[in-house]
Amino acid sequence: MNRATLTLLALLLICALSLVAAQQRARRLFIAYERAQIEERKLNQEWLRLEYEQRNLSKSARIRDVARNQLRMVSITPERTLYLKDSQ
Amino acid sequence: MRTVGFSTTPNLVLRLPMWRSRLMLFLLFFVFMLLLLRAFWIQGPGNAFYEAKGVRGTQRELELPASRGKILDRNGQVIATSLEAKSVIAYNDTVPDDLAADKVKRLASLLQISETELRKKLKEDRKQLFLKRQVDPVIAQQIKQLEIPGIGLNSEYRRFYPEGEAMAHVVGFTNVNDKGQEGMELSRDKDLAAYPGQRRVVIDRLGRVVEEIAIEQLPQNGKDLQLSIDSKIQYLAYNAVKSAVEQHHAKAGGAVVLDTQTGEILALANYPSYNPNDRRNLSGEQLRNRVLTDTFEPGSTIKPLTISIALEKGSVTPNTNMAIGAKYLVGPKPITDTHPYTNLTVTEVIQKSSNIGTAKIAMNNLSAEEMWDFYTAVGLGQTPKIGFPGAVAGTVHPFKKWMPTDQARIAFGYGISASLFQVARAYTIFARDGELVPLTIERSPEYKSGTRVLSAKTAIEMRKMMEAVTEPGGTAIKAQAEGYRVGGKTGTAHKLVGKGYGNSYRAYFAGIAPISAPRIVVAVMIDEPTGGSHYGGDVAAPVFSTIVGETLRALNVAPDSQHSQLTLNEQSSKAVSTASLQTQHVVLKR
Repeated sequence: MNRATLTLLALLLICALSLVAAQQRARRLFIAYERAQIEERKLNQEWLRLEYEQRNLSKSARIRDVARNQLRMVSITPERTLYLKDSQ
Repeated sequence: MRTVGFSTTPNLVLRLPMWRSRLMLFLLFFVFMLLLLRAFWIQGPGNAFYEAKGVRGTQRELELPASRGKILDRNGQVIATSLEAKSVIAYNDTVPDDLAADKVKRLASLLQISETELRKKLKEDRKQLFLKRQVDPVIAQQIKQLEIPGIGLNSEYRRFYPEGEAMAHVVGFTNVNDKGQEGMELSRDKDLAAYPGQRRVVIDRLGRVVEEIAIEQLPQNGKDLQLSIDSKIQYLAYNAVKSAVEQHHAKAGGAVVLDTQTGEILALANYPSYNPNDRRNLSGEQLRNRVLTDTFEPGSTIKPLTISIALEKGSVTPNTNMAIGAKYLVGPKPITDTHPYTNLTVTEVIQKSSNIGTAKIAMNNLSAEEMWDFYTAVGLGQTPKIGFPGAVAGTVHPFKKWMPTDQARIAFGYGISASLFQVARAYTIFARDGELVPLTIERSPEYKSGTRVLSAKTAIEMRKMMEAVTEPGGTAIKAQAEGYRVGGKTGTAHKLVGKGYGNSYRAYFAGIAPISAPRIVVAVMIDEPTGGSHYGGDVAAPVFSTIVGETLRALNVAPDSQHSQLTLNEQSSKAVSTASLQTQHVVLKR
């Protein structure tokens, strides 16, 4: 075997090993990506749930009830309202 | 006797014929060839089956989830949303028999079932069973926190409607398969629907996904839909209708609020209603969207339309004086008024809602064709194009079939039918100085130009006449809204029972506010009020008043009536700062 053949063999080995390493890395990254995606979905759902909860707390029926019964507020009437004219 | 020598036994003498060994050789070769061919076949052209087997062990098809679009109101408030809902599953083998009594009690109360029922379910001889499907996320969280072994949660999607009953008829609902069944959920199902995707992945021996081969179908989330409805106005309209129905022991009620500038439907309320989050024991009565799907004889609410044709032609003016009398004979049955009048001006015909006056104006000045043309031009007898399921057209019979008696009665709203929604839409012509505005239920807040059907002069004259209805001497003083000038027309129609008129009524009020610069059209209908008055002016007008007052305040429209109020300008800002300490609300006037 001459020198050229040996060099090529060495190169081939290096390439093969790096391929294995690259594949391993790709898998790891993919798993991380997968996890992040699941997390994203979870957070999305959480956001939707919180939005719904906020909506439930701010719906007209509840505001009316809290304002009337807990805070003892009354509806506005024109007599007790001051109207300002916009300068334009 | 022949002797048989050992060495000479004939059996040991090899005398095989040549063909036998040849045959053997050929057979062996042949079988090997068959094996070779088979091997070739498996490796080459016929390997799909084995490849599929191999793939099945290492690859999986996974679904990529997609969720149905949200429905929002005009201010971006959620009125329908899909949330991951948990189903509670019991794995009866794992649930311990000696489960603490307080935990059972707590779980039963969270699931809203009795303790004995829960215990019975947990004793059932089944590997796993659903204790409850689609539970509220908050409750699911609490169940999880109980940490009972063998009680698990499974993910599903469920549709939630935060506004509940007030919005039920507009939004509608979906079934368990996420398909729209009623309302906007049904009519816009295609856009709202979610299309889950699919991908192919490689899994390892523990079932974990290690590589994605291909996304075979991209998931497609449903599009969000923004309606023109304002939750706040919808809620107050619903509440006003509901309390009127209860107060007058009526069968049902409905109201619609339109924005005259943009043609948007701000509220569309019906009572009785239902809770779309809990649809057990639903009846057809509750599901009916009366505003759009019920047609009725519009009665006196038609009078402004009829009389504006005569005004437009110049045949009469608001001050034209005419003889009325106690009876007016057209056809076999005389037309009468609730209160007899000898003389009325045209304005007073509207103000006092005189049947005889309206019929005389129509018979003396209008042809059947002119009336038919005008009613059709304002949308009566035609299905409103707003993309809502079940909207009806009502009936306006062809004018060629009208007998004089028909024409006289159609003039004041009998013998034709329309939905409350159509009446409200027709009234936009008075609010918009003669233009009929195209309506929409989806948010589009820009000014819309309409189709001209009346001159501005006639529309303004009619507005003044309609305002007189709500002033002393009119049929609907109760329609007045504090701070705002309003105008409208009452209606009280005998309900058709079989072939004749029975003893039940429908009370209506349709009107415009504020009169000086109309912003909204509101129409109210109360079906079969009993106990006390059944007149539109007594039953429906107060509902109109409540809705108009609260809606205009919600829209920040400044009052236009001569009410005791302060209007300040820029110069008096000092006064404002002191005054605002005493007053409770400061609203900017534009």
